[in-house]
Amino acid sequence: MTQERTDDLPLTGIRVIDVATVIAAPYCASILGEFGAEVLKVEHPTGGDACRHFGTPTSRGDTLTWLSEARNKKSVTIDLHHPEGAGLFKALVAKTDIVCENFRPGTLEKWGLGWEVLREINPGLIMLRVSGYGQYGPYKDRPGFARIAHAVGGLAYLSGMPKGTPVTPGSTTLGDYLSGLYGCVGVLLALHYKEKTGRGQYIDVALYESVFRCTDELAPAYAMYGTVGERHGPHIRSACPYGHFPTKEGKWVAIACTTDKLFARLAEAMGRSELASSSLYGEQKTRLENRQDVDEIVRDWCGSLTRDQVLARCEATRAPAGPLNNIADIFGDRQFHARRNLVAIDDEDLVETVIVPNVVPRLSRTPGRINHLGPTLGQHTDEVLKGLLGLSDAEVDELRTRRVI
Amino acid sequence: MRTDARDQPWTPETNEIAAQAHSSEEERPGEASEKPLPLSGIRVVDVGTFLAGPYAASIMGEFGAEVLKVEYPIGGDPMRRFGTPTKRSDATLAWLSEARNKKSVTIDLRRPKGAELFIKLVSKSDVLVENFRPGTMEEWGLGWKVLSEANPGLVMLRVSGYGQTGPYRRRPGFAHIAHAIGGLSYLAGFPGETPVVPGTAPLGDYMSSLYGAVGVMLALRYKAKTGYGQVIDIGIYEAVFRQLDELAAAYGMFGTVREREGSGSFIAVPHGHFRTKEGKWVAIACTTDRMFERLAEAMGRPELASSTLYGEQRKRLAARDEVNKIVTEWVLSLTREELLERCIAREVPVGKLNSIADIFADELFKARGNLAEVEEDGLGKVVVPNVVPTLSETPGRIANLGPPLSNATYEVMRELLELSAAEITRLRQQRII
Repeated sequence: MTQERTDDLPLTGIRVIDVATVIAAPYCASILGEFGAEVLKVEHPTGGDACRHFGTPTSRGDTLTWLSEARNKKSVTIDLHHPEGAGLFKALVAKTDIVCENFRPGTLEKWGLGWEVLREINPGLIMLRVSGYGQYGPYKDRPGFARIAHAVGGLAYLSGMPKGTPVTPGSTTLGDYLSGLYGCVGVLLALHYKEKTGRGQYIDVALYESVFRCTDELAPAYAMYGTVGERHGPHIRSACPYGHFPTKEGKWVAIACTTDKLFARLAEAMGRSELASSSLYGEQKTRLENRQDVDEIVRDWCGSLTRDQVLARCEATRAPAGPLNNIADIFGDRQFHARRNLVAIDDEDLVETVIVPNVVPRLSRTPGRINHLGPTLGQHTDEVLKGLLGLSDAEVDELRTRRVI
Repeated sequence: MRTDARDQPWTPETNEIAAQAHSSEEERPGEASEKPLPLSGIRVVDVGTFLAGPYAASIMGEFGAEVLKVEYPIGGDPMRRFGTPTKRSDATLAWLSEARNKKSVTIDLRRPKGAELFIKLVSKSDVLVENFRPGTMEEWGLGWKVLSEANPGLVMLRVSGYGQTGPYRRRPGFAHIAHAIGGLSYLAGFPGETPVVPGTAPLGDYMSSLYGAVGVMLALRYKAKTGYGQVIDIGIYEAVFRQLDELAAAYGMFGTVREREGSGSFIAVPHGHFRTKEGKWVAIACTTDRMFERLAEAMGRPELASSTLYGEQRKRLAARDEVNKIVTEWVLSLTREELLERCIAREVPVGKLNSIADIFADELFKARGNLAEVEEDGLGKVVVPNVVPTLSETPGRIANLGPPLSNATYEVMRELLELSAAEITRLRQQRII
């Protein structure tokens, strides 16, 4: 999976500058890199991207998150605060198709590297700008992180047991990934538009907006009926049985009977087909009215069996069920191996082999690739400054001595 | 304005009127710009149901593609009945919002004549979106081989619970199950307690659709270069699993099994949800030492951020309970407004845990135009989340909400597939369309 593919990929020939930090905008650049773009990660010469320190450290110092999410990138150190650094950055932008950034709005402008300046250097430039609250609006100057975005965007309020403490919706970085994805959608749209017209543009993504966009009918239901969505623990308001149920050995399964047909299959799996008759719980409406009874029947059944037994019986009748996998379960799950969702990568700078999630999505003719893990800080500075910008050895040494790079 | 074909005896005229009303709506000032959009001229056939996949088509529609929603003639997409009903019997609120910009065309794919019409339609389109259980389209004679022969440049997005390959591919898959398989649900909730839904039930549907939209646009670009189409194959569980930062790498290297973390996170302290005096909630996220220093200042206790106390993340992680207790007590002593004011003055990363009522009252959402009001015949004003992302030169649009069932069947059969009015009537009578 890891060998360099020479295939022509969708973004072969596209150059991306990723001057962003942690996961949000950088994840967009990672996807572009997986599908053939050359990604130059521009980092501060001291310490680099904060993502290098985010999470669990490895023998190399850089964390696992960095190694996984900075895949395929080249690290180039430039101090953008420094006027000469800003000059080098502009020279790079002139030779680049896409810039990804997620500073607080106004920061690049302060350094003389705002959209107006960069588009003049490169009229076809596409610039992804991710921030907590967007490039304009009342909160644009506030610091934003995915956790805050989950809160502002309405997702955190909905996570947890009814009236209990709202919990993290599974992972604190979801909003970063969602924003990276929306950013990537925006960049690819802009590339299509540029192909047709030659014109570049910028994409303004706020972390909280990416989260809020994924809340289905929460907004229309409030506007039309005044319905305020609340926490429902493992369940949802509109279907039953639907939730998480413990098995005999204390593991968990997810069951989702969104339709009557699916409930009939579950009743069959339970060996109690009569439950799905119209006089009992055959209709969603009846099940919702008798939610506690129905959930109890399902809970008792799951509790009487092991997880594997529940899943085997559900599979036999095609009832929708699945294990609540922890990461150990995932490493043992046949589906992940059959689909090659886990890929082991050997990095010569590391003592250990690193296992990372493979590329999503899967393209049949031009599959994405992981050529290498996150680079060491400044690993490609010389290559890029000399090869791309034509600087001499002496110039590069001199810039390095003065900590411009 | 728009005519609901379902409420009237069907005639060719009914749908012509519907089609005209539809196009005049698109020309409403301020909604459709004169500029071409990135995907103007691209035709997408969306034969999926619910959200996983169809939302990718919605995004393409927002940015200029023509999206033909191909539905089963009787009842159409079950999404029309999923969620909160409206006065329109063929449209829940979820349908109205997420089938935005689409045109509804009914075809029964199970019937040979329907399959034949579908192949013709696909041969005149650029993108096909589907999310049947793997093997289903093949059973109907509509697999990739057949379709790519009819249209060699076809880009086909296939979303399913488990993907097109692998041992579980034939199992029914929903986002709820995919959250579980992909490892997200296990992590949502308090340690040792019941795992909860990670915020919303269809999260994985949105995630897989976003990956789908990315895949389709990559494939369109490749097609422009080479003429070749291809298949994009996404398992919903994969889309979920891909977003779990270092979960896999940490298990692979150190055997770390991450557990549920309640309202917190293994990554930093204080990083969680805290209750205010009046029983509302706020999120605070001190991912770095500098952020904690600012919080300590906002609390009027800068000494907490000294190196001898909790100045370093390492120390805060080791003293998680103590630090969280200090922050919990402070937050509890203030109203939400007081707390926000103090934190914002010091640039502490903080936010309200907005309910949807809070969101409607939040000036941020107004200023950014996140809530789009759309007039819908018979329903009045419907408020839906606006387009994300925001593009400076070619902003997306919501030309119409989820269409009435079959509102474009006649238009498409007549103009695109060039059937005669008599043929269309006959197909209609036979319930093939």
